[in-house]
Amino acid sequence: MAMNMITAKTITTTTIMTMPDTAALLTLMQWLSPAYPVGAFSYSHGLEWAVEAGDVTNAGSFATWIGDILQHGAGRNDAILLASAYRATLDEMADIDATARAFAASRERLMETQFQGDAFCRTVAATHGAALNGLCYPVAVGAAARLLDVPLAQTLPMYLHGFAANLTSAAIRLVPLGQTEGQSTLAGLAPLCQTIAMQTAGQTLDDLGGCCILGDIAAMKHETQYTRLFRS
Amino acid sequence: MGAAITSAADITVAETQPRARGEVMLSAHHDGRTRLRDLRQSGCMKVLFPNTGRDFQAVLLNSSGGVTGGDRLSVAARAQAGSHLTLTSQAAERIYAAQPGHLGRVTNRLTVDAGARLDWLPQETILFDSAALERLLEVDLAETARFLMVEALVLGRAAMGEQVKTLHLDDRVSLRRGGRLLWADATRLDSASLPALSGRATLNGAGAMALAAYAGPDAEAYLEPLRALTDALPAAVSLARPDLVVLRAVAADSYVLRKTLIPALELLRGSKLPRTWTI
Repeated sequence: MAMNMITAKTITTTTIMTMPDTAALLTLMQWLSPAYPVGAFSYSHGLEWAVEAGDVTNAGSFATWIGDILQHGAGRNDAILLASAYRATLDEMADIDATARAFAASRERLMETQFQGDAFCRTVAATHGAALNGLCYPVAVGAAARLLDVPLAQTLPMYLHGFAANLTSAAIRLVPLGQTEGQSTLAGLAPLCQTIAMQTAGQTLDDLGGCCILGDIAAMKHETQYTRLFRS
Repeated sequence: MGAAITSAADITVAETQPRARGEVMLSAHHDGRTRLRDLRQSGCMKVLFPNTGRDFQAVLLNSSGGVTGGDRLSVAARAQAGSHLTLTSQAAERIYAAQPGHLGRVTNRLTVDAGARLDWLPQETILFDSAALERLLEVDLAETARFLMVEALVLGRAAMGEQVKTLHLDDRVSLRRGGRLLWADATRLDSASLPALSGRATLNGAGAMALAAYAGPDAEAYLEPLRALTDALPAAVSLARPDLVVLRAVAADSYVLRKTLIPALELLRGSKLPRTWTI
């Protein structure tokens, strides 16, 4: 009898707590799924060159490469930009967006964040009525999450996971990796996405920066790569 | 042994007692040719003006012999309308071990007025084990200004078997044109990220790196010639913005880095580097 009561109580509590969270998660799943038309599939973030140069040759070297990009490169920086946009007033948004553009390390990196951001703004305005226009990708996602009351604590790890998932798909095609091998690598990256999300949630534009120098060089080298499937 | 610094309050106290201070403010103007307009120097920062017989060069000299925790160095330089000012350093800047919680701060602010050009060409910055440095390079360009910069970082002196195990580096660059932010970069390294420097997306274990940039209406013309010069190293060039070409290079040490960097900078400069680079 006592046991049943406890169980019932637990269920009630859980239900109350997770209902809005589920709605938020479904919104994020839609925004950050490969089907959402931002064109993510066409960007490799320099991975196409890293594969060509022999820097990424298998699942292990891909895991290290993407892990470093997440922790010390665009992953962490995008998370900081997203969190900053989430907290920003409308007046501050232009500055955050200008900073996001300024930190793009190469011509194709600028294109990557600009074009995905443009497409995200157009689509989210149509699908969710969020009046956004012409923001860089992480800034646009942060601003949309705020407008629709999607919690930052969920948006950040989901965004990072979406970034990692997109590059994993690119690695599956480019390295190539087996589908299962790629998905195992992505599963291994999930805790890192959570850690970075927690670290960056309270950070500001002053915390931007990193040390993925060869990742930036790969993105620049990609501009002159002879055979290319990807736009970055 | 003193107590460990464990809170922000301790750090604040430490930072109010700088070890060395140095400040330079200078401006150049055009009067038939580029001439010195104003100069103020104080503390450990001094400026020398070598007679080059060519362009107007200011050589920065840190007489304290390096940077350590608590140091505060700053340079504010302005190239007034139509002038061409070249700034370089007497020697590579050494960033020595800092006491825990003490940071060295270096702030460089450059202004380039209409039709003027400024070449910011300091020699390498060498980071020793336990170095702690926050450095800021802020550049304000008029719409018609030209600007060339390089910042090269070296981790320890590899030839002497030195290894950097503890580090705090926050090295920021921002470029504004006509008041609008055009480009920014921040190299951040700390003890937690040092082990990651063996990765193929970071430094692949290399000990030296450089970031160079040229902003000007003719930036695009340098893209292909620079690409041809950077084949020997893990290095690359991009027209990151329509009027800004950016070069990044990574090398085993500063000697190897210079073999690519010097020709690239001389191409962008259209003349030899200041003599301090080669003596």
